[in-house]
Amino acid sequence: MNETKLLTEHYSKPEFRTLKGYQADGGYEVLKKAFGMQPQQIIDEVKTSGLRGRGGAGFPTGMKWGFLPKNGEPRYLLCNGDEGEPGTCKDRIIFDQAPHQLIEGMIISAYAIGSHKGYIYIRGEYKKPAANMEAALREAYQAGLLGKNILGSGFDFDLDVYWGAGAYICGEETGMISSLEGDKGQPKLKPPFPAVQGYLKKPTIVNNVETLAAVVPIIRDGAAGYRKFGTEKSPGTKLFSLSGNIVKPGNYEVPLGLPLKDLIYGFGGGFKPGRKLKAVIPGGSSAPVLTADEVEKANLDYESLAGLGSMLGSGAVIVIDDSHCMVDLLGVLTHFYAHESCGQCTPCREGTGWLNKIVHSILEGRGRLQDIELLEKVANQMKGKTICALSDAAALPVLSFVTKFRDEFEYYVREGHSKVKGTAYAKMHH
Amino acid sequence: MPKCTINGKEVEVKEGTSIIQAMADNGQKIAHYCWHPGLSVAGVCRLCMVEVEGNPRLQIACNTAVSEGMKINNTSDKVKEAVKWGLDFHLINHPLDCPVCDQAGECGLQDQYMEYGSYDSQMAESKVKKHKVVDLGEKVVLDSERCILCSRCVRFTDEVTGTKELAIFNRGDHSEIGTFENRPLNNKYSVNTVDICPVGALTSKDFRFKQRVWYLKDGETICTGCSTGCNVKAYFNNEGFFRIKPRYNPQVNGYWMCDEGREIYKFINKEYRQLKAQKKTAKGWQEMTAGAAAKDAAKALEGHLKNASLLITGQASMEEVDSLVSTFTTQFSSKKIYHWKNNEAQWGQFDGLLIRGDKNPNTKGVQSIFAKHQIDTIIETLEAEVKAGLVATLIVALPESQSVYPDLMDKLKAFGKVINLIILTAGKVQLQDLTAVNCWVIPTKTFVERSGSYMNHNGLVQKVNKITNIVSEALTLDQAVALLSGGEVTVDSVYGIETVKPLADLNQRPDQVVADSRKKNEFLFKRGTV
Repeated sequence: MNETKLLTEHYSKPEFRTLKGYQADGGYEVLKKAFGMQPQQIIDEVKTSGLRGRGGAGFPTGMKWGFLPKNGEPRYLLCNGDEGEPGTCKDRIIFDQAPHQLIEGMIISAYAIGSHKGYIYIRGEYKKPAANMEAALREAYQAGLLGKNILGSGFDFDLDVYWGAGAYICGEETGMISSLEGDKGQPKLKPPFPAVQGYLKKPTIVNNVETLAAVVPIIRDGAAGYRKFGTEKSPGTKLFSLSGNIVKPGNYEVPLGLPLKDLIYGFGGGFKPGRKLKAVIPGGSSAPVLTADEVEKANLDYESLAGLGSMLGSGAVIVIDDSHCMVDLLGVLTHFYAHESCGQCTPCREGTGWLNKIVHSILEGRGRLQDIELLEKVANQMKGKTICALSDAAALPVLSFVTKFRDEFEYYVREGHSKVKGTAYAKMHH
Repeated sequence: MPKCTINGKEVEVKEGTSIIQAMADNGQKIAHYCWHPGLSVAGVCRLCMVEVEGNPRLQIACNTAVSEGMKINNTSDKVKEAVKWGLDFHLINHPLDCPVCDQAGECGLQDQYMEYGSYDSQMAESKVKKHKVVDLGEKVVLDSERCILCSRCVRFTDEVTGTKELAIFNRGDHSEIGTFENRPLNNKYSVNTVDICPVGALTSKDFRFKQRVWYLKDGETICTGCSTGCNVKAYFNNEGFFRIKPRYNPQVNGYWMCDEGREIYKFINKEYRQLKAQKKTAKGWQEMTAGAAAKDAAKALEGHLKNASLLITGQASMEEVDSLVSTFTTQFSSKKIYHWKNNEAQWGQFDGLLIRGDKNPNTKGVQSIFAKHQIDTIIETLEAEVKAGLVATLIVALPESQSVYPDLMDKLKAFGKVINLIILTAGKVQLQDLTAVNCWVIPTKTFVERSGSYMNHNGLVQKVNKITNIVSEALTLDQAVALLSGGEVTVDSVYGIETVKPLADLNQRPDQVVADSRKKNEFLFKRGTV
């Protein structure tokens, strides 16, 4: 099977990451085309292309841009490269292999929305990608692609890298804005929404790395060209980070709408001999888990996965084979969310800790049968009750694990050990 | 002016009003911890959930503005369930400290638990351990385990004082309030954080462990600590006064008061007070009751009071000053009335929030009454006259709060040169320093023991009512002068503490009496609402 490489066509070439190599493959030509268009034309093109946010929420990008106030107020374009969703590593290859593609996408987007200052927020753990990005920015400045009067168009745009300190919550757009402002990374109350009052209380657009990079092929090929791929509601291609118990894990660019099976068995090469599929987390750790039966029906697009009660999320497909204990895996997830909750809203601050403690009580053989129901009750009460979606993100896997693999939980509580032979709690550090 | 319906009641509010504000203004109950009308909206306790018709998700009332035609309710089962769980999330890691917690009795968690909770906890895990005794500053102690992280105190130091000493450190359920290194919570308004703390996490070093709050009654008065005249509540019982808290008045102090003002209860209490009148005789000092001493002085000085001098401070009430000046100008036909101004050089000082340099509550009042009678003499003139031996009889009305008159005893010593000296004082005086030939010391009342008005720096006249008696036999200044001038006054019963119930009520069982007085003292339950 072959990938559909709109973004990643040249990623295998090491020189593509330099300005020279990027330009040799047609880099910054799309920018020139964009400068020949009216900003509104670009926005319309992106709207028509149906591009949806690639960070996780899948919000239509053109519509988001349309929320900006129509006045001359200064505005910011922020690139969200926090990439904290467990299982996701797709933005990283853009930082590493094609920093100029991101820069070009950002200049076009900034030109479209009328912003003259942008930041690329990169997660704290991405030391090398951040250095890479900075080197690319220096090259771009030297070549007059950033700064004043870019390519003689009269358009000014300054771009900087901001290196986070490694917090999952800073991937939430208002959390990221707080962090960028120099405050503790905590989401802000909405309303006001960032498009009205964001970074430094000015109108702000926050887009994912992949979203901004995808603007380049959209302007290059036009909306219709982009729509050739994908489905009606999920046009285009997307990067999927395939991980877990799979023979060939990695990032794959495929058109949206691809059957999940094809990604797992076709691109991923299936399982080790003797192992079979048990479950898949299709969109990063906060997406509800799919059972093997559901995987049969699932396509990699927003609507199909939503129909199965899960979500496409950031495109991190975590494959789980039958050697794993679901209780143990849930312990990993609840620990993650308890550790990453910013602690602002009570249901999330206390709920994530509580869920984690209950799961670990079960794992340590101290579980009670009512704990399984309690997990559901607590998770249900955490959903939709907080400022940001971290609380939901912590609750959804709990609910899906407990309902879809209830037998494993009940077995664990009754017997004090896992139903899956050969697994032992504490093999993994929680 | 959008109209909306809250729990079936139609309400009209100002544009941009939040639902919680609209509910508070219309007497509707709504659970909340982090929202405070004097601070910005944090929206973190997630307790003020309401159902807005047409929106499937519950909304927080503090960050949702009322819009035209909105139908809001917070009494549905859905909301109640959400609040119950919101409360449970607050409580799972909250220690069961109530028996030893100062906040017990006026605690938001207790109040809401009685309203929405009353269930057995489902939490079977061990609670998070945090720091139990954190010394935040000179006046405030933190118990992190009790803290529900509503961030009111943090927002107070960020937004009201601008001193930013407090912050929330760490994340998740290990978050704790704290201060930065070498930057303790020592601003002049720090105890407000204790007031706004909805639980017992922040406690005042001055008040903690002194009294259970349900043994305290409260009365409304104003702070006499400076010329701002903050509106306050004073908390007391039979043992005296224990604390002062601010009372909302948008014209004067908003929701806050300074830490200095909280100390004013101290000079009211018995241990700092002149309890008995004293008369100087050949054999030394003779103890008398206040009324008897005043009458004795009146008899001894009959005729001498003409042309007597009067020294008065800005701590007396408008009514007292007015009555004293009238008595002097008419009955004693004397205009020798002097205004004792302490630290006048600092009177213009103002810290931008509440604290003013003039440490008298009624300087403006004294000045306006003096102006009415065309008097503008000050203490320096009196001192010169005393030095020159021109003053035979002098009545001194000492300030209630002696600590803001640091040279008080020196001045009194200097007045030893007069022949007849009458000291009207609420606070204790050192008798050995009074060297006048004839001398009477008559105890007077403080601002909580009499009704009176005070004119603040802004010319605003605020009237306060008597709260209780501390020194029952003490006289007000006007009563004392009326007796001196040979008149009669009717005083409250010597034993007359107004708050004592008539005998008939004592037929009730003791616990019923307690229950009744609780009902009266609604402050117990107000803590959860604002």
